[in-house]
Amino acid sequence: MELIFILSTLTGPLLLAAMGGLTSERSGIMNIALEGFMLTSACVVAVVSVATGNPVVGVLAGLAAAIVMALLHALLTQAYRIDHIISGMAINLVALGGTNFLDKRFTDLSRQGEIPQIPMLVFDVLAFGLPVLLWLYLKRTRGGLRLLAVGNDPDKARQMGVDPIRVRYAALAATGLLCGLSGAMIVTNAGRFTDGMTAGRGFIALAALILGGWKPIPTAVACLGFGALYTLQLQLQGSQLFGANLPSQFWNALPYLVTVIAMAGFLGKSRAPAGLGKE
Amino acid sequence: MGHCCALRAAGRKGVRRLTPHVRLRGIDKRFGSVVALEAVSLEVEKGTIHAIVGENGAGKTTLMKVLYGSHPPDDGTIEVGGEAVAFRDSADAIRHRIGMVSQHYSIIPELTCLQNLILGAEPAAFLDEQAIEARAQMLAAKMGFSFAWSEPAANLSPAGAQKLEILKLLWREADVMILDEPTAMLSPADAEALFESLTALADQGRTILLVTHRLPEVLRFCKRADVLRGGKNVATTEVAETSAGQLAEWIVGHAMSEPVVGSFEPGEAVLETRGLTVRGDRGDEAVRGVDVLIRSGEVVGLAGVDGNGQRELYDALVGVGEVLAGDVFMEGADIGRLNPGERIARGLRLIPEDRHTQGVIEDWSLEANAALGLHRLGDLRRGQWVHAPARRRLAERIAERFRTKHGGLHQPMRSLSGGNQQRFVAARSLEFAPRLMLAFQPTRGLDIDGTQAVYEAIRNRCREGAAALVASFDLDELLEHCDRIVVIRGGRIYEPPAPQARDRNAIGRLMVGAEAGLSA
Amino acid sequence: MSGRLITLILVSFLLVIGALMLAGVMPLDALSVLGETFRQKGAWTRTLRETTPLLIAGVAVFLGLRAGLFNIGVEGQFLLGALTAAFVGLLVSGPLGVILAVIAGSVAGALWAWPAGWIKAYRGGHEVITTIMLNNVAAFFTTWLVAGPLKAPNQESTTTAALPAMTRLPSLYSSPPFFLNVALLLAVLMVVALAIWLKRTVAGYELSATGANAIAAEVAGVNVKRMTVRAMAASGAIGGLAGACQVLAYEWRFYEGFSPGYGFDALGVALLAGATPWGLLPASVLFGLLTTSSTALAANGVPRGLNGVLLGLLIIGFAAYRYRRKRT
Repeated sequence: MELIFILSTLTGPLLLAAMGGLTSERSGIMNIALEGFMLTSACVVAVVSVATGNPVVGVLAGLAAAIVMALLHALLTQAYRIDHIISGMAINLVALGGTNFLDKRFTDLSRQGEIPQIPMLVFDVLAFGLPVLLWLYLKRTRGGLRLLAVGNDPDKARQMGVDPIRVRYAALAATGLLCGLSGAMIVTNAGRFTDGMTAGRGFIALAALILGGWKPIPTAVACLGFGALYTLQLQLQGSQLFGANLPSQFWNALPYLVTVIAMAGFLGKSRAPAGLGKE
Repeated sequence: MGHCCALRAAGRKGVRRLTPHVRLRGIDKRFGSVVALEAVSLEVEKGTIHAIVGENGAGKTTLMKVLYGSHPPDDGTIEVGGEAVAFRDSADAIRHRIGMVSQHYSIIPELTCLQNLILGAEPAAFLDEQAIEARAQMLAAKMGFSFAWSEPAANLSPAGAQKLEILKLLWREADVMILDEPTAMLSPADAEALFESLTALADQGRTILLVTHRLPEVLRFCKRADVLRGGKNVATTEVAETSAGQLAEWIVGHAMSEPVVGSFEPGEAVLETRGLTVRGDRGDEAVRGVDVLIRSGEVVGLAGVDGNGQRELYDALVGVGEVLAGDVFMEGADIGRLNPGERIARGLRLIPEDRHTQGVIEDWSLEANAALGLHRLGDLRRGQWVHAPARRRLAERIAERFRTKHGGLHQPMRSLSGGNQQRFVAARSLEFAPRLMLAFQPTRGLDIDGTQAVYEAIRNRCREGAAALVASFDLDELLEHCDRIVVIRGGRIYEPPAPQARDRNAIGRLMVGAEAGLSA
Repeated sequence: MSGRLITLILVSFLLVIGALMLAGVMPLDALSVLGETFRQKGAWTRTLRETTPLLIAGVAVFLGLRAGLFNIGVEGQFLLGALTAAFVGLLVSGPLGVILAVIAGSVAGALWAWPAGWIKAYRGGHEVITTIMLNNVAAFFTTWLVAGPLKAPNQESTTTAALPAMTRLPSLYSSPPFFLNVALLLAVLMVVALAIWLKRTVAGYELSATGANAIAAEVAGVNVKRMTVRAMAASGAIGGLAGACQVLAYEWRFYEGFSPGYGFDALGVALLAGATPWGLLPASVLFGLLTTSSTALAANGVPRGLNGVLLGLLIIGFAAYRYRRKRT
C-alpha cells in the first residue's frame, strides 16, 4: 500500500506534465518549457495558499500562472515567430528566476508552517485518469481531430477550414493547465516551495513523451516506468538486494540515457508529429 | 440551407433557360507587378464537366483559386447560381458549396481515411464514429468506392487518395467541384475510372471544373472548354466542335520567331544515362528507365509539363536524388556514385529551378554567393584558405556578365530582385570552364534581352566543347534556343521523330500525350 | 510588426521596474547601488571572472548555431570538460599538466556532444532534445564521480582535491584586488580565431553554408551530414574547453554543483551576439555585468532570481527583433 502511494506520488507529476507536453507538441509547438510552467505553478500555489490560507484559491492561482506562461510561449512562437527552442529556453530562465524572486520576496517571513493543502488523492485521480481522457479526446472529438491535423500539417488543415493559430492557443492553454497541476502536485507533496524544486521532471516528462511516440497511453506507460524506477531506487536504498550498490545517480540518469538511446534508433522508431515546429 | 433555397429560386426566375451555374466576369489578379489574370470571363453550365486548359503558368490554377476564395480577385465579379458573391476565404466558398481538390492533395497521411474525410466539416463536437462511418460508407457506395476507413491515409494509393478527395467534396455537399490536374498521378485505368465517377456526378446535377493539360480527357469527357494563355482567356468552345490539334494550337499560341538552328558537329558524349530510375517524393518512380545522350557542343532542350519527373531527373544528375537503378556517365566516366562536390569538380554546373532554396543563400553577400558551389575550384582557395581577392574578382565577373543590377557586392543577396538573382545564378554556372550545364528554367524572371543573353552564353560555351541540358515549361523558348528537343512525360523520355524534330505541334502533342489516345 | 516589438520591449521594461519596486527598491536607488559597486576594483575582477566561461561557452554555442545546430548541451559538455581537466591536472602537474588538462577537457566535451550530432545527421533526432537529455546525464555522472571515485579523501564536501599552484592558469596581470587571468585572453583569442576561421577558410565557408541553407549547401557540394557531426563535436570540444579553463584558471577543483548554468547563459550570449563572433565580446561582458549587479542588488534585498528574469526577457526581446525580418 505504501509502495503504491510512493509510486503514485512520483509518477503523478510526470503524467500530468507529459500530457501537457503532448497537447503542445501535438499542435506543432515544440515545448522545452514544461519545466518552467511547472515551477511557476508550484511557486504561485505556495505563495498564494499561504497568503490566503485557502489551498483551492492557491491552486487556482497556480494554474492561472502556468496558463499565462504557456500562452506566452504560444504568443512568442506564433505572433512573434521566435524560434520554439529559444522561446522555451527563455521562459525556463524567466520561470527559474521569477519563482526565486517571488519566493524570496513573499515567503521569507511565513516560512514556518506548511502550506495549506488539498488532498493528494485529488491529484492522483486526475493524473491517472488523464491519459485515458486525452486518448478519448484525440480519438472521439472534433477538437482532438483538429489538434492532430494542425500538428501534422498546418497548411492542409487551413485548406480544410481549420484555423491552426486558434487550435494552437487552445492547446497551449491546456499545456499550461496540466503542467500547472503537475507543479501544484509537486509542491503539495513537498509541503513548501524550494528553488528549482521541479528538479528536471519537466524534462523527464518530455523524455517520456518522446519514448511514448507522442501518444497518450504509451507516454503514460513511459511515465509509469520512470516512476517505478524511482520507487525501486528508494526501496533499494539501504537494502542488500541486487542493484542496491548502484549509485543513486545511475538511477536518476537512466531515463535520460534511455531516451538518447531510443532517439539513436536502437529501440525502434518513434515518430514526431510531422508539423512540429512548422509555421 | 438558405443558399440552397436561393439557388432554387434563382433557377425558377432565370431569364434564360440556361443560367450558368458559375459565372466569372472580368477577373483581374496581380501578384505584385506580375499580372496573373487579365479580364478573364468564364461561364459554366450546371451539370456538366467543363475543362480549363492551358500551359503551366497560363493562370488556370490561379483562376480556380479565385473561385475557391483563396485568392480574392483584384477586379471582376463572381456569380454562383445567379447570385453575386465575394469570398473572403475558402471557408466562405465552402459555405457556398464550392469545393476544390488541389493538385497537391490536402490529405494528411498520418490521419485515418475517415478523419481526413470529416476534418473541418465534423458533424458535432463529439464524434459518433459509427454514424459517421455509416454516412461515409453510404456516400462511397453511391460512387462505387470502398475504403478501409480506420487505416491511415498514408496507405492510400494515388488513385485512392484522389477518390477520398472527391468524397471529401461530397461530404461537404459541394455543388461546384474544382479538380486541378486530377489525373496527374493516376494510371490510365484509374483515370478512366475517375472520369466514370465524374460523369455520374455531373449527371446528378453537380458542376465540375476540370483543370488539365491532357487533351484526350477534354475531348472524351468534357462538354465545354476554356483555353487560358498568359493569363487571358483565348478561346471558349463546345468540345464537340473542336479537335486536339485546334486546342493544342490555342494552348501554345504561335511561334514568335523562326527557330535558330545552329550548324555544328556534335562531338563526344558528355552526358549519358542508361536506364536511370529515380525515386520521387511519394516513394514512386518519378523517373523511369531514362536513356539520355548529350554530346559535346549540343544544347538539348527538355520539354514537358511541370511535375513529369524533370525535378527528380535533375536531382539525380546533380547527385542529391535517390537513384533506384541505372547509370550516369559523364565524359565516359561513371559518376553515379560521386557526391555533388566531386561532380562539380568534374565540371558539372547547375542553374537550379528554385534559386531560393537551391541556388543562393539570401542572407549572404553577393560576393559570398559568387563562390557557392565553386568554392573549392581554381584560385578561389589557397590550401584550406579562402582566397578573398579571387572571390571578389569572380563576383565582379559574374555580376558583369549579364549585367546584374546591385547595390554593391557586399549587399545581401536578398536585396536583389528575382530577375537579378537569376542573372547572377546563371552567370555563376558559366564560371570555371563548365563541361556540362544543367539548367532548369534558366530564364525565369528575365526579360527578352536577358533571355537572349543567357542562352547565347550557354550556347557559346557549348560550341567550345561543353554540353547543356535545359529544362523549361516554355516550348517556344526551347524551340528558339536549343539544338535538339526531347520530351519528358510521366518520368519517361520521348524524342520526336526526325521529320518532326522541330515541329511545335508534334512536340506539344508528345508533352500532353495526345499522340496515342488516353492510354498512352 | 514593429509595433508589436515595441509593445514587447515596453512590457518587459515595466516588468523589471515593477519587480524592483515589488522588492522594495526604487529603480533609481538600484542604479546608485550599482554605481557604488562598480567604483570598486573587486567588482570588475568578479565581472571579468564571470565573463570568461560565458565567452568561451558562447563561442561553442555560436559555432553550433552557425552550422544550424542548437547546442543546448554546452552545460553538460562544460561539466565533463571541467571534471576531466581536474582529473588530468591532478595526475600530471606543472605546465604540461595544464596543457594535457586543456586537451583532455576538450576531448571529453567533444565526445559528449558527438552522439547528438550523429543522431541529428543520421537519425533525424532533434539535437535540442538529445542535448537536454545528455545534460542531465552529465550532471548525474559528474556528481557521482566527484562524490565517489574522484572525491578528495580528506574532504567533507563532495569535491576533488585542489590543483597544485603550478598546475593552474596564471594571472596575466594582478594588482589586488584586481586580477586578470590568462583564460580571459585565451577566450578573446578564440573569438578572434573563430571570426577568422569562419570568414577565411573553406571549411568555415562550408559550415556557414550548411547552417544558412542546408539544401543549397548540399547542391554546392558540401557533405552536410558529415559537417553536422563535425560541427557538433567541435562545439562540444569548445564547451569542454570552457569547463577546463574554469577549473584551471579560477576554481582549481571540481565540485558538486560546479556550474551555476554557464552553458545555458552562453546560449543567451550567443543569441545576443548577432551575426558575427565579435558580438560575443560585448554580449558576454553584459552577462557578466548582470551577474555582478545581481549579486550587489542581492545584498540590498533584491532576490537574485531577478537576474534570470532579466536574461530571459533580454533573449526574448532580442530574438523577436532579430527574427522579425524573416518571412514577411
